[in-house]
Amino acid sequence: MSCTLHGTGVSGGIAIGRAHLVSHAKLEVAHYLVPLHQVAEESARFEAAIYQVRAELEELRAEIPATAPPEFTAFINLHLMILSDATLSVVPRQVIENEQCNAEWALRVQMDALLAQFDEIEDEYLRERKADVIQVVERVMKALSGQPGYIPPPTRDDAEQNLILVARDLSPADVVQFKQHQFASFVTDLGGTTSHTAVVARSLAIPSIVALHRARQLVREAELVIVDGAQGVLIVDPDDQVLAEYRRRQHEFEIGRQKLKRLRDRPAVTLDGVPVDLQANIELPADVIEARENGAAGIGLFRSEFLFLNRPDLPDEDEQFEAYRKVTEDMGGMPVTIRTYDLGADQHADPGRVITNPALGLRAIRLCLTEPQRFVTQLRAMLRASHYGKINVLIPMLATAVELDQTLTLIEQAKRKLDDESVPYDRNIQVGGMIEVPAAALALDIFTRKLDFLSIGTNDLIQYTLAIDRTDDTVAHLYDPLHPAVLNLLAHIIKSAAKSKTPVALCGEMAGDIVLTRLLLALGLRQYSMHSAHLLDVKQVILGTDLSKLRPLAQKMLRTPDPVKLRALLERINA
Amino acid sequence: MLQREVEIINRLGLHARASARLTQVASQFKSGVWITRNGRRVNAKSIMGVMMLAAAKGSTVVIETEGPDEEEAMGAITGLFATCFGEDD
Repeated sequence: MSCTLHGTGVSGGIAIGRAHLVSHAKLEVAHYLVPLHQVAEESARFEAAIYQVRAELEELRAEIPATAPPEFTAFINLHLMILSDATLSVVPRQVIENEQCNAEWALRVQMDALLAQFDEIEDEYLRERKADVIQVVERVMKALSGQPGYIPPPTRDDAEQNLILVARDLSPADVVQFKQHQFASFVTDLGGTTSHTAVVARSLAIPSIVALHRARQLVREAELVIVDGAQGVLIVDPDDQVLAEYRRRQHEFEIGRQKLKRLRDRPAVTLDGVPVDLQANIELPADVIEARENGAAGIGLFRSEFLFLNRPDLPDEDEQFEAYRKVTEDMGGMPVTIRTYDLGADQHADPGRVITNPALGLRAIRLCLTEPQRFVTQLRAMLRASHYGKINVLIPMLATAVELDQTLTLIEQAKRKLDDESVPYDRNIQVGGMIEVPAAALALDIFTRKLDFLSIGTNDLIQYTLAIDRTDDTVAHLYDPLHPAVLNLLAHIIKSAAKSKTPVALCGEMAGDIVLTRLLLALGLRQYSMHSAHLLDVKQVILGTDLSKLRPLAQKMLRTPDPVKLRALLERINA
Repeated sequence: MLQREVEIINRLGLHARASARLTQVASQFKSGVWITRNGRRVNAKSIMGVMMLAAAKGSTVVIETEGPDEEEAMGAITGLFATCFGEDD
């Protein structure tokens, strides 16, 4: 069925390829059509899974010791009854037969329908009993996955680079997995412009759309789709004319990109001779290749928490040391700023824990300070790696003087310990702090007095300043880097840091947005760190900027409360 | 067909375990057993239906039984409600 869906384009470019439906949760399953002659087999496969789970539960029940509390047996009985209920054991088979779809999908669709009914229940305790339904479904899914099922035959152009990932949402952990593949595009039903999906798509320089809402329902597995990342348009099953037009646009986009590559080795200097430092944000050591390809002058932000995701254990000191050393060596003497792990909130490795307000919870440096052993392991690995190049340590989410002092004490202790062990490290290693909490931005002196440098994390700074959850697409449109409060905070940070002669970088999404490049320059920013994919675009803007003319306009922007006038001023800056 | 109105008196209402008990008992009879609350009528032999009735403490439900053993079924079901589904609370 041909149709067009509109979402929020978060990474430009055009991708044309086959849809691949995926998602991160255990219960998110792929959808595919089963050939008519195999429908009966698919239905039987589902029935066999139900039988298997019933046998498993009965076995479990038989093994319960007589001394166990009666709840145990009651609990398993309940699951057995849910399993046998027609809504789970019969209806999915009808779905398989009617829609010719795979068993997993039929079960998932039926579960969603049941859960939607549970969600309407007013009584909170009764509503939460849906957890039992989910657990039973999970068992059946597991049984299904253990059985030889119908595997969709690879289509002719099924190479990864032609696959377009269609998901409900992507977690950082998914993203790390996906990075090992070469998908043409990611599109998701949820998310905003700064969601993980968006950030990663931009870092990979592949087109991406979020907040499509119904893509997973309307797009079928292996269907031909066009992703226009700049316009936020997803075209499903396009006709030949549309396809030809988009192939032409895709070609033009590629030519533009090739032209940019020539800027790689040119220093980033404005027309009036102001040098600018353009560095790259990376997540994994392998990202250094792309950073260098795009002429990064260093790594301004190595998000070390990505080393901690997607694994049951934690990387030990030696493993971390090797990763940090590799990045430093691969950067050939250029500075590498490693942020200590910024886990917690939406990125915590433990998905089982439910946190109602993760962005304000135990995360980043707060988490580090509650588990000093893990933190010190990382600090030691960084210090050891500093012997092999120029490493800076960056502390995320500082808000108070106490956190800062505790952190600095731990670093000193780690250094002394290495001294005792005669392990070499860079004695002049610089320690900096992320400025991403408004409190830190307003009380900047706390940090400039004791730190060697600062780095502004605009994603969180904006989220906290405007009280907007950037992963919630119902409020994501309120996320505004041009809000007067945000602009004035940024100006304040840059000015205060300059006064205390503390170098300050900006490493959030704003750094890579060419619409804001000149404004930030005019506010005094001289060091940007961004996804490698943006480095050359931003450099191109800087090469064509005459800074002397922009300062008065930027100052005027700081005094302008009216959003319409603000945009007009920004346009003049970018003219 | 028999019809009786009962009130939910146990603390947690028709929660999962009470629902399971109700479904088990209802399934022992040949008669059809239905429960209605707020205009929603479900088969008492279906755990999912009973759970979704969302009958919290203090709400009233209407029980219907119809079939050869409808009286015994009604007696057993109303008995369950009256004894809080055998719970201690």
